[in-house]
Amino acid sequence: MNILNTFHLYVRSMGMLLKSHLQYPASFIMQTLAQLVMEGGEMLAVILVVDRFETLMHWTGGNLFFFFGLMSVSFYITEFFGRGVTGNFPSMVRTGQLDTLLLRPRAVLTQVLCSGTDPRRITCIAVGVAALIVGSNMSDVTWSVPKVLALVESILMSGMLILGLFLIEGIFCIHSVKSVELVNAITYGGRSACQYPIDIYPRPLKILFTVVAPFALTMHVPAAYILGKPLYGWPVWTVFVTPLSGAVVFTVMTLLFNRGIKFYRSTGS
Amino acid sequence: MSYIEVENLRKTFTVRKKREAGKLFREKEIVEALKGISFTVDKGELVGYIGPNGAGKSTTVKILSGILTPESGRAEVGGRVPWKDRKEYVRHIGVVFGQRSQLWWDVPIIDSFSLLKDIYRIPEKDYLNRLQELTDALQLKSFMRKPLRLLSLGQKMRAELCGSLLHSPELLFLDEPTIGLDAVSKLALRDFLKWENKEHGTTIMLTTHDMEDISALCSRVMVLGHGQKLFDGKLPELLERFDTVRTVVVKYNTENPKLVLPAGVVKDKKDDEIHITYSPVDIPTADMLAILQNAGTISEMTLQSENIDHLIAAMYKEMDL
Repeated sequence: MNILNTFHLYVRSMGMLLKSHLQYPASFIMQTLAQLVMEGGEMLAVILVVDRFETLMHWTGGNLFFFFGLMSVSFYITEFFGRGVTGNFPSMVRTGQLDTLLLRPRAVLTQVLCSGTDPRRITCIAVGVAALIVGSNMSDVTWSVPKVLALVESILMSGMLILGLFLIEGIFCIHSVKSVELVNAITYGGRSACQYPIDIYPRPLKILFTVVAPFALTMHVPAAYILGKPLYGWPVWTVFVTPLSGAVVFTVMTLLFNRGIKFYRSTGS
Repeated sequence: MSYIEVENLRKTFTVRKKREAGKLFREKEIVEALKGISFTVDKGELVGYIGPNGAGKSTTVKILSGILTPESGRAEVGGRVPWKDRKEYVRHIGVVFGQRSQLWWDVPIIDSFSLLKDIYRIPEKDYLNRLQELTDALQLKSFMRKPLRLLSLGQKMRAELCGSLLHSPELLFLDEPTIGLDAVSKLALRDFLKWENKEHGTTIMLTTHDMEDISALCSRVMVLGHGQKLFDGKLPELLERFDTVRTVVVKYNTENPKLVLPAGVVKDKKDDEIHITYSPVDIPTADMLAILQNAGTISEMTLQSENIDHLIAAMYKEMDL
């Protein structure tokens, strides 16, 4: 009941935020197109790599497109629906808007999520979807129900992971620590790095993206399964378990975030 | 038991200073925002809370509205502790910050209200009734469909008030509500607050720098300075204490009136007007008037008391704020 109510509130908030974005149609269209150019550029970089080297270790060009698409779709869906966390929160702390959230009978994180959406990302998501389709066609993926489920779970869990990582930035902000750059290294840095398969990287990066920001677990394990690559000898069910690490990161960060709010209330700003 | 009970409330902030040359860490400075404040407010009271910037007014409001947790001390509002169970507590209060909006910038204000209905889980029927009532009282109808960003400052404040009262709170905090408003808007706002207070028995606490707000609205005023409560009582009492100087301007029909003034009274002649400045503490006003009358036939006389802002400035000065 409570969850339904919260979801209803979220949907209504999103509707209203979309409405406010559309208040400036020209700017909205321009920015959406700009996003297309930006994400298209990123895609072009992958195309150039594929064109030049054809394969990257044991990954074919089609595989690389698939990885790229998986990251784009996950990352930009998260920004689309979770802009409150991925973008707005630091300024909310700075401007004192956080105080207004504390005055309402709802969880702070719910309100933060309800406070932002970034519909301009729709073009980025489209590029990602295109890359996924091209990638899976080139890789001759034979789709089955488990594979579709693995893909959906991977996107969802990666989204939660990304939200969780952005929450770290929020927690830092609450403690008025200005080390946002450090966090960007694993959020935006994670996006750039993990749009390629993790095993092309040296060991420290592998550890970073498996243990700290486990994109390898939420994306690369299911992707390897979908693309029919060996899973380091792991049984198939692990494909559905490892992505859950995204939910774990999100849960832990939510708890820390709530503690941060408690700290904010006891110290003020 | 009073509606609001505050006892020995303390709050300190740690402010990080700029790092000094040659030192490894930044020094921290502890600022005592509230040094043990106590007061009670009854249900339905309209209380003004004044004091210079940095006196601790906003801190008190933030603690009583559940945003901040105090260091020590006790506070209860309607039997609830503000900083415990925040979500339950804030259902019963409304807060308007004069300089911070809680409505959505780019959408018609009616949409903001409708979303607030969902946030506060106000039943549809109650919401419609209350909205209708507030729309009439605040005259929102003409700009209900305009987005907040297109509203004038006065309209914005009215919309904010409506937003913070939709859930029919028992207690309303206003932090400098008339800041930047023109005379008409100020008067309308004060009338509305009186109406809300009377009609619904809403307890109202407002912080302000505008003494007119206090004299027009508040039966009671609290003065805060350096984190301490310095005065708590009726405005006339407060003024009496610091209203040390009066000026009488008299015009006589009589040529060269024989004015014999006691010591300590200043006489100043401007054209045919005589300005006499005296202290009602030394010479009661009645005595002063008798002296003036005995001097000759008065054609015109006005008694001026000091401008209220000057009084407050004098008070802050005397209290060393």
